[in-house]
Amino acid sequence: MKILKLTSLFIFVFTLTQAQTKISGILKSSKGIRVANANITLKNTYDGTSTDSLGRFVFSTTETGLKTLQFSALSFETDSVTVDLKKGVITLDLRIKPSVNLLETVSISAGYFIAGDGKKGAVLSALDIATTAGSNADVFAAQQTLPGAQTSFSESGLFVRGGSASETKTYFDGMLLKSPFNATVPDQASRGRLSAFLFKGTSFSAGGYSAQYGQALSSALILETTDLPEKTTTGISVLSVGAGVDQNIRFKNSALTIGAAYYNLKPTYRLIKQQNSYVKAPEQLSGSIQYKHKTSETGMFKFYATYGKTEISLYRDDINEPAVPQYFSNNNINIYINSTYKEYLNDKWKLDVGFAYNKDSDEGLFSTDNYTRNDALTEGKATLTNYFGQLSNFKFGAETFNTGRTESLNGQERGYDDQISAGFAETDLFLTEKLVLRLGARTEYSSYLEKYNLAPRTSLGLKTGINSQVSFAYGRFYQNAEDEYLIIKRLDFEIADHYILKYEINMHDRNFRIEGYYKDYNHLTKENLGNPTNTGTGYASGFELFLRDKKTIKNGDFYISYSFLDTKRNFRDFPTLATPSFAAKHTASVVYKQFIEKIQTQVGATYTFASGRPYVNPNSAVYLSDRTNNFNSLSLTVSHLTHIFKQFTVLYLNANNVTGFNNVYGYQYSSDGSNRRAILPSSKRNLVVGLLVTIGDNTFVI
Amino acid sequence: MLVIFSFNSFAQTNNQKFQTGVKKGLDMLIAAQSSEDFLKTSNYFERVAQAETKEWLPPYYAAYGNLLAGLMINDKAIQDQYFDKALLEIDQANLLSAENSEIYALKGYIQFMKMSVDPQARLSFMAASATSLGKAKTLDPENPRIYLINGQNTFYTPEAFGGGKIKAKPILENAVAKFAIFRPASEIAPTWGSERAKALLAQCN
Repeated sequence: MKILKLTSLFIFVFTLTQAQTKISGILKSSKGIRVANANITLKNTYDGTSTDSLGRFVFSTTETGLKTLQFSALSFETDSVTVDLKKGVITLDLRIKPSVNLLETVSISAGYFIAGDGKKGAVLSALDIATTAGSNADVFAAQQTLPGAQTSFSESGLFVRGGSASETKTYFDGMLLKSPFNATVPDQASRGRLSAFLFKGTSFSAGGYSAQYGQALSSALILETTDLPEKTTTGISVLSVGAGVDQNIRFKNSALTIGAAYYNLKPTYRLIKQQNSYVKAPEQLSGSIQYKHKTSETGMFKFYATYGKTEISLYRDDINEPAVPQYFSNNNINIYINSTYKEYLNDKWKLDVGFAYNKDSDEGLFSTDNYTRNDALTEGKATLTNYFGQLSNFKFGAETFNTGRTESLNGQERGYDDQISAGFAETDLFLTEKLVLRLGARTEYSSYLEKYNLAPRTSLGLKTGINSQVSFAYGRFYQNAEDEYLIIKRLDFEIADHYILKYEINMHDRNFRIEGYYKDYNHLTKENLGNPTNTGTGYASGFELFLRDKKTIKNGDFYISYSFLDTKRNFRDFPTLATPSFAAKHTASVVYKQFIEKIQTQVGATYTFASGRPYVNPNSAVYLSDRTNNFNSLSLTVSHLTHIFKQFTVLYLNANNVTGFNNVYGYQYSSDGSNRRAILPSSKRNLVVGLLVTIGDNTFVI
Repeated sequence: MLVIFSFNSFAQTNNQKFQTGVKKGLDMLIAAQSSEDFLKTSNYFERVAQAETKEWLPPYYAAYGNLLAGLMINDKAIQDQYFDKALLEIDQANLLSAENSEIYALKGYIQFMKMSVDPQARLSFMAASATSLGKAKTLDPENPRIYLINGQNTFYTPEAFGGGKIKAKPILENAVAKFAIFRPASEIAPTWGSERAKALLAQCN
């Protein structure tokens, strides 16, 4: 009893003597703007308060002595001061620094295409690609609607800023992909082999890209694969051109995906008239396996392998002998293996290693001649990245490629083999949050050419407002000549110098950019009566506009791109400096997508315009001075979302050139110049319908 | 002797202090009307969280406060930042209390809202939300908030993507039934959601 009394007395006394300190003040940003709703915390106690709408705060505490007062707010760096708590009132005038906001921080951007929600390095997502009308979910076709790229239907690949298709290289998780396209028919473009849905993002660079990427003179298409799928699902697609199945199996920290597909264009070709008369319409069988393992909180191992087999044979008109169509057949086998591993060694260092193997074999008949062709590339790469400061990094690495071709004609063989080894180093130096400088260099040695090169790359970004930025880039780019020339003899590296200036405004739902460039080409491969040399030159200059808006129209998204291109080159068999046949002066695309909730349908339309392309007319006095008519195309796509047997299903339709514009890519003249044949799309219009079912995903919620 | 006793009482009051501390925050939560109110509540729970580094409820409620503060704001860029903060806080709660149905349920809620900021680009959040809710259900199938959040997600998902009122209705009915028999683990354990479930269910008819 006595003790209890004493204690209560003690507590009573203690409470009485507890000193109350009143802490009040005001919190402002470093620019003097009052910060509302900030959290003021007396560390390790419950005491504290939030600032009011004028940045003011006041609270009382019974704590005493030296304590830490912490203040934090959204978009600001958490900071603290030490306060000496004695009886009475403490008045504080606090300042808080804005935190690094990635959306508002300057970035390396010259040459890169940035769309999406304005986050770093972005991208056309898989969904963006699949819903772009006219692209038929082809990665490469979708990129052709972006500024800088030309429309093309008579040759596979991306023609960027006056560059030929071989000057754009594709990188799969950082590894060079030598043969990204399906087997081709002469004078026709073919689709990319890889499904858009393998990738979480595609980033398209029209110039000035990082020292990590070599052997590309004009452009880099950077594809990054998705991480672990969320759950086990089965995907089935039934299209008018074939069918495919994918089984995803999700384990705790890893996932396995096995897929197979069969495509046969015979039924489609019966319905849609083709330019060529097919003996065997393209038929393809392919299989793939993919394994991803999250090795730790920050580590990821990926393995992907695919095998594809294609057969085609046809008769095509021969302009020199119109009465005797030429026979052409192609059996293609393509193997691709890509494996990468990345891990953060600690807070500061990241390691990336990769291995890739690509083999592409063709054999068939050209007229009566038997041909074979084998392209191969094996690559190993390792990169170390060091992060320092708040945003800066320094990376360096090495890679080596074994590449080459062997070919034969009626049993007569030839080939070449090259080991290209490269080292690169690059730093992204954030001098402030508003100013970034990239300095990089890359060096390569080619065992076949017996030559070295050294390529400096630099890029500068300067933030001019919360949403706007100016960028500049200069870089030198080297590439070995195309296989068809190297197989004849050793040549020097081809060279391009890029100068890029860009202004952009990026907001949450809207983007605008204008970019101008000048490119100087040297040591291009010239061919004189079958003898290649490195005496070719050329230039390209132009500007591009891009506008994307996801805000104005509800559930709608549209972008407009325009490219102006002025280019001339003297390469291949050109007798003089001229604008090549793949370069249209004006190219414009309008891509529009609208989700209509009522009918659960996404519709899309793409309109593309390109001014006339040059073609060689032997009857003209000036080389490549003739122009085709303008190119016009309107494509539509409809995706209806529904359920079949309770499984999530997409009903898909894509129609190209619905209005039936007569598009001509160029003309082929007979040897004597008296006859000509128009190079046309494989068919005037094209239609694909399909059904895509995902089993195991019957509802998006559990 | 005095010292020992007062030390003892200190230990006792410390637990009481935590209980009353959280209760005070819960009162703020109930009274909150605007985005600002929810932010202030969230701030309060963050203060408790930094003092009570072993308790999962303070970061849990801080996450909940940030989520609601974000829901009441129209600016998508700011909204997104609140949701990001809520995600960090719910992950913090998860570190302090692993395999907790309430935490996974709230995480599923936040992930769904992250998706709603930019549905076209963020479909993966939809699957992530479903995974979190699935996990919450395995851990405690009687937790009514799982069905509320699932029903709510379904309610706001277009019919085309497997959502809609018709599909949401049975889930929400289940939620209301589970809320009726739900007894929270303690005075300060999560109890929110019953009214919301009833209100949404009423809209399904």
